[in-house]
Amino acid sequence: MTKKIILLTMLITTILLNTACGKETKNESSTEKPYSFTVNNLTFELGSEFNAEDYGEYVDYSETSSCAFDGLDKTYTYDHYEITTYPKEDKDYIYSIYFLDLDVKTSEGVAIDDSKDKMIETYGDKHEEEDGFYIYTKDKTQLRFGLQNDKIISIEYLYI
Amino acid sequence: MKRIIRVTFIIIIFLTLFFGLQRLVTPKYETNLVEGHMIKEYYDEEKNHEVIFIGDCEVYANISPMVLWQEEGITSYVRGNSQQLIWQSYGLLQETLNYEIPKVVVFNVNSMRYSKPVSEAYNRLMLDNMKWSKEKISIINSSMLEEENLITYLFPIFRYHSRITELTKEDFTYFFKDQNVTYNGFLINKEVKPYTSFPTERKLVNYDFSDDNYHYLDLIRELCEKNNIKLVLMKAPSIYPYWYDEYEENITNYANKYNLDYYNFKNVVEEIGIDYQTDTYDGGEHLNLSGATKLSKYVAHLLKDNYELNDYRNDDKIKEIYDEKLREYQEECDK
Repeated sequence: MTKKIILLTMLITTILLNTACGKETKNESSTEKPYSFTVNNLTFELGSEFNAEDYGEYVDYSETSSCAFDGLDKTYTYDHYEITTYPKEDKDYIYSIYFLDLDVKTSEGVAIDDSKDKMIETYGDKHEEEDGFYIYTKDKTQLRFGLQNDKIISIEYLYI
Repeated sequence: MKRIIRVTFIIIIFLTLFFGLQRLVTPKYETNLVEGHMIKEYYDEEKNHEVIFIGDCEVYANISPMVLWQEEGITSYVRGNSQQLIWQSYGLLQETLNYEIPKVVVFNVNSMRYSKPVSEAYNRLMLDNMKWSKEKISIINSSMLEEENLITYLFPIFRYHSRITELTKEDFTYFFKDQNVTYNGFLINKEVKPYTSFPTERKLVNYDFSDDNYHYLDLIRELCEKNNIKLVLMKAPSIYPYWYDEYEENITNYANKYNLDYYNFKNVVEEIGIDYQTDTYDGGEHLNLSGATKLSKYVAHLLKDNYELNDYRNDDKIKEIYDEKLREYQEECDK
């Protein structure tokens, strides 16, 4: 009887431990190439390690922290875009690329002030909509367009 | 009969091992990520607060109840957690009212901008040490990310069992022992990091707060009304993340519609005396001890002047409790 109870409790614990560790997350393997941003022959790969010295001179730099966790998000402001990184094990990785003006285009040639039609023509109509943003997702990267009156008012690449 | 005794004995052994192991592997939040310890400190408190502050880091980093006591004899507590979302604030207010009915609840509106849970890590900081209650279940259900499980919040061993190979000295030192990391919910930070620069303000398409967030703000308001509590809205001073003019308009409109008092302390930083070169520990996101003391003095006078609060420095019993707290607080401030 004792052995049965011990075995039963061990079995229940094992089952619970295995089932409760987390629901299986969808691991959709994508053959699509993630979004990246190229400007002046420099390519920024989202989620890849970032060393500021490899990308020329920036005009501003700032740091932001989270409420409780260690590490700093670092933002490097260049003339027409801003790169934000997240920290992981003493290194910084590209998290966001944000366009600051009309003088810069996505790798596929879309810029702020372009029309919604041009965006659809270039990226297709397979996108999600959230709070006025049109979001294209490839692998672990997103390209987010903010639209107002069918005109693009903001562009941001994100690593998710 | 013998069999019943034996089975009972085995069950007791099993439960002792189960909960002992759970205690061992669950993070203690005593010396690392102390924000995870804040929620439980309230349960051991003397529940005599006339003012309760509810909100995210903008309350626990910026409002010091000890200063409110020193200045005006106000008894208060901060029930705030890192990245505390509005539905979590509502649940925490419900839980608080199970223990006491304050005269004033001050809700910091920063979380109105967030309509989705941010990460499991923030959920854990708030929920691991929250007492079991129907409010806790409700907060968990509203906060869990898709890949999370309710059972891991009810029995953290199912989330942290793999820590068994990563235990630190803290896990053993604080297995039985427990020490407060806050002073009535205020977390002291004495570092100084002057403001220099922040990322460019992001353009949004829609500056409206979500319907869900308004719904929870309605629930907070209605809960206060039902309990005859004066609800006050506040926005703590900070430079970043940006508090857009449109956000300000949304909150002002809400406050006007329901005849609520709303104070945006960002607009009076000069009057308060906050200097972002000396009064912040992270360049302008949160105030440090010096900044929080200035803001708390201002808030103490504002509350006293407008909400008919008692000066409990005339109450010997309460004074004794707060004098002891104040002594410890000042020791920590002077370190």
